[in-house]
Amino acid sequence: MLLTEGLSVRLGGVPVLEGVGMTAQPGVLTAIVGPNGSGKTTLMRALTGEIGYRGRIALNGAEIRDLRPGELARIRGVLPQSGGLSFPFTVHEVVRLGQEAGAEPLRADGPGAALVRVGLGDYAHRLYQELSGGEQQRVQLARVLAQIGSPVSPEGRPRWLFLDEPVSSLDIGHQLLVMGLARDFAAAGGGVVAVMHDLNLTAMFAASVLLMRKGALAEQGPPERILRDDLLSATYGCRIRVGVAPADAVFLLPHSCAHGVGG
Amino acid sequence: MKTIRLIPMLALIAGMIGAPAPAQQTGGRIVSLGGSVTEIVVALGASDRLIARDTTSTWPAEVNRLPDVGYLRALSPEGVLSLAPDLILAEADAGPETAVEVLKSAGIAYVRLPEAHDPQGVLQKVAMVADALGLQAEGAALSARLSSDMAVAEARAAAISPKKRALFVLSAAGGRIMAAGQDTGAEGILTLAGAENAAQGFTGYKPMSDEAVLAAAPDVVVMMDRGGDHSAAAEELFALPALAGSPAAASKALVKMDGLLLLGFGPRTAEAANALHDALYPAD
Amino acid sequence: MATPAPGNAAPVRSGDRSPRARRLCLVLVLLMLVMSALSLGAGASDVSASDSFGAWLAGRDLPLRDRIVLFDIRLPRLAMGLLVGAGLAVSGALMQGLFRNPLADPGLVGVSAGASLGAVAAIVLGGALPAGLGLLPAAALVPLFAFAGGWVAVILLYALATRGGRTSVATMLLAGIALAALANALVGVMIYKASDAALRDITFWSLGSLSGAHWSKVVLAAPLILTALLLSPLLARGLNALALGEAAAMHMGVEVQRLKRGAVLAVAAATGASVAIAGGIGFVGIVVPHLVRLASGPDHRWLLPNAALLGAVLLAGADIVARLVVAPAELPIGIVTAIAGAPLFLWILLGQRIRLEG
Repeated sequence: MLLTEGLSVRLGGVPVLEGVGMTAQPGVLTAIVGPNGSGKTTLMRALTGEIGYRGRIALNGAEIRDLRPGELARIRGVLPQSGGLSFPFTVHEVVRLGQEAGAEPLRADGPGAALVRVGLGDYAHRLYQELSGGEQQRVQLARVLAQIGSPVSPEGRPRWLFLDEPVSSLDIGHQLLVMGLARDFAAAGGGVVAVMHDLNLTAMFAASVLLMRKGALAEQGPPERILRDDLLSATYGCRIRVGVAPADAVFLLPHSCAHGVGG
Repeated sequence: MKTIRLIPMLALIAGMIGAPAPAQQTGGRIVSLGGSVTEIVVALGASDRLIARDTTSTWPAEVNRLPDVGYLRALSPEGVLSLAPDLILAEADAGPETAVEVLKSAGIAYVRLPEAHDPQGVLQKVAMVADALGLQAEGAALSARLSSDMAVAEARAAAISPKKRALFVLSAAGGRIMAAGQDTGAEGILTLAGAENAAQGFTGYKPMSDEAVLAAAPDVVVMMDRGGDHSAAAEELFALPALAGSPAAASKALVKMDGLLLLGFGPRTAEAANALHDALYPAD
Repeated sequence: MATPAPGNAAPVRSGDRSPRARRLCLVLVLLMLVMSALSLGAGASDVSASDSFGAWLAGRDLPLRDRIVLFDIRLPRLAMGLLVGAGLAVSGALMQGLFRNPLADPGLVGVSAGASLGAVAAIVLGGALPAGLGLLPAAALVPLFAFAGGWVAVILLYALATRGGRTSVATMLLAGIALAALANALVGVMIYKASDAALRDITFWSLGSLSGAHWSKVVLAAPLILTALLLSPLLARGLNALALGEAAAMHMGVEVQRLKRGAVLAVAAATGASVAIAGGIGFVGIVVPHLVRLASGPDHRWLLPNAALLGAVLLAGADIVARLVVAPAELPIGIVTAIAGAPLFLWILLGQRIRLEG
């Protein structure tokens, strides 16, 4: 599992995270939500080993800062928020980069299989830079899936997916596809931690929600406990009313949201 | 590929140790590097033995027909070798060093002549070229003639008083004056022509500040003739703020002469000194 | 964008360009052999390489002049051309990968400016050095100083751009510009101090040439350039990942700091040694990697070796032109590569603009 204790991060001398203690379990999708500037992305960067921190971050029992990038790459994959690429690689080549970075033996059909999973089966020959933003985001996901391989290592330890706003450029159909892939990964025994802006999708797919506020963890718990009118209204600084939809419903139609109320 | 190249490389190293270059009868096929060297060879009557020259060898006109091996500081060893010379006569600064080494290793006699800025240097070069060509008698005759000619020039120079202060301007491109200081051929020829170098305090050819030129206050400016309209060039030069107030500007005293003639320090140096003297002191 | 449903067995065209890159590699190896043969056979003199090698292999004695032309002039020159071409092209590819920009060149890390300063200092001050250095032959002075100058510049730049164990590529870029300006100013001071002959030497040095080729220079530069060439494939996977950004590369297991250090050191070694023995030869570092990317994609595992081969082939070819066009004299090779490279470079720029705007 993933666990932090007293996690603090300063960026350029400014404290951005203070005393975060959270846990994420394999087997379920854990969502990190919160308003802009609340520290979601910084928390993600600390959890993935990208930036230095004080306190503890234990992933499968090992302290993140003690692991080499190569060791980390075999137990967790990271989907970036934006996917710039500086040279004209083909989609196949981008996904293969992920596969080469991972723990599992290379399979010739690896990139192709990962592309099929994200719905880009016949995009292998296309140049990445010529795709739309949403297509690029799915290629990146295929690249991460190819890197991480199966959700559980041969030794029976969970592998982890860290997704930074995985559906930000996607249409509703692909949002469901991608979130479904993430949930399936978790259901097969892997761990998934995703920074989410869309609280509806969070409600639908996450089993655990971390609510960030001003660089600290405000609440952690199952969605029905976190996604409450009072908590969300206070955190996001506007009146939010949560309604319950039928299990198979996708859209939640919000009431008007007035800034400056609560907070 | 790599191994194929390696084999001859090793063989070469072995060959270097074992085979010194054989001595040969030299001087039948001469490559001359440097304008003054070529002039000396011609003055010794050996022009028929010249097979090639460098870019700076432009006098007498007949040598321009010879193949040009390029600028004497950027020689191509194979280019020179391809002409199958057996003697290379070179001015002091011919190069690059590695090319010279390769040429020497090919068994070609290579005679490096010293740099000269005065009559003694000219005579030394003549003697060395004559030795290398086996023309000692001709060399002695030429030396005697040049020596007496240059003695005449020196005597004329010594007789002049007061001496004019001359500024040798290598280039005035963009209004920036590049002048000859101490230790230059230009100063040598000015001295031999009976003038004083107005530029003092630095060696070689350097850009001079306007104020330094102003302070030098030359009576006359000497330049290399690169063609073009003489009077227009003089007007442009003396319009420069640094020179406008100089005595030279007042009398429009600009002397332009062929660069190789002036600075070559070869057989024509006495001629150059006399011509420059006449131009500097027209009433004389 | 019509996207088939997952699982739909649409025919998947591969998108894998490594077979093409492998074929290109083979073609380039053959081209290099051909160019080498041409280079050994071409020159101002009429020495035939095949006859002479045949005679030499058969154990017969060669005329001294033929032996010199082949073994002391053309062979070291070919070796230098291949090494320098490969070194500059691989340096360019490494720099472009590191800076994530196809227009980066080794000049960005200060090697060229530092090497220029070293070379010019050696040319100008060569005669006036302390007695200890007098032991070195004059011919070795310029390359040694150029190489040292390049290294000092790179190490300085790397130190300036590294804070807390992280090197900022952006800082390197900016500090590189400042450092190059400083080096150029010092070159200006040297030029001011230079004699007339030294000035002309500086001019010719900056144009680049293989005409001073000599085994001593090959021996000096070969270990450095070959080491950089042979170690560069170790950086290939990291550079590929770096194309996705520094964070993504780290996420994919790349030790980014080690990658940067390796790339900078390799470039310093290869470019430093190349510039030291051949002077300023432009455009190889930019144009060659670009051509290889056009032909077989940006995968550094193939880009690096193929750029090395193409750089070697092109520089050996440019040298043939340089030595034949005005024989028995010769052109500085930097002129040949610039005349061929500059229009190509413009074409690249225009192509990019069209692509960005279109």
